[in-house]
Amino acid sequence: MFRWKRNFPVDLADESSLSRREFARFLALVSAGFTAGIGYLWGRKKPFDGAPDSSGLERAVDLGPAAALHPGESKLFTFRDADDRCIVLRTQMGDLRAYRQTCTHLGCAVRYDGQRLECPCHHGFFECGQGFPVQGPPTRPLSGINLELRADGRLWAVGDLPKPGDPRRLEEPA
Amino acid sequence: MSRPRRSRMTRAALAFILMVAVIQLYLFETVLGAVLDGQRGLLPGAFVASLVLTLVALVLAWKVPHLDDGPKS
Repeated sequence: MFRWKRNFPVDLADESSLSRREFARFLALVSAGFTAGIGYLWGRKKPFDGAPDSSGLERAVDLGPAAALHPGESKLFTFRDADDRCIVLRTQMGDLRAYRQTCTHLGCAVRYDGQRLECPCHHGFFECGQGFPVQGPPTRPLSGINLELRADGRLWAVGDLPKPGDPRRLEEPA
Repeated sequence: MSRPRRSRMTRAALAFILMVAVIQLYLFETVLGAVLDGQRGLLPGAFVASLVLTLVALVLAWKVPHLDDGPKS
């Protein structure tokens, strides 16, 4: 036998092989990683981009006179903080709606084309009534903002709407 | 006679751990989707379920004897 073979008796193929126990331990650690991830989601207080805020804190943002927004027009505003970009629009039917601009696909900013909300990154489209995806890759609806039309004719963003289909979403926006 | 039975047990343990990993993947994906939809109510239950599955997998992977016994061993 060669001397090098005595010094290195393990074949290259055997060196990279994995025992059943090692594989089981790897899977168990992967499982622990998922548990840690769920724990992180549980412990995280700040909502993710595009997700409704469930902290219960009252917020109100003045969006200006409602009459200034004509059918097919939109206006951008920030709600929770400077990074929480939202869009308020008046549909062709004259209804006022507000949504987070964060596309539920990969987080690009959606814009209003007068008919639908469009994500320009991957050509996803959302209908204006409740923010449901109607075309393209997004599968979840946009996060809605609750609007309030006050007596002086000014429009206010006053909170997060539960996602469509959620039983908490009983009231329609203005 | 005990050898094949032991082999079956180790295969069952390995299959169970593999199933736990798949369930955990599905559970995490479901929980993440729910959190993005603003539904945080299921987080405590999901965490407890995930923790139990992980503990079972860890016990099986570290404590089950003869896990490396294959059909030919």
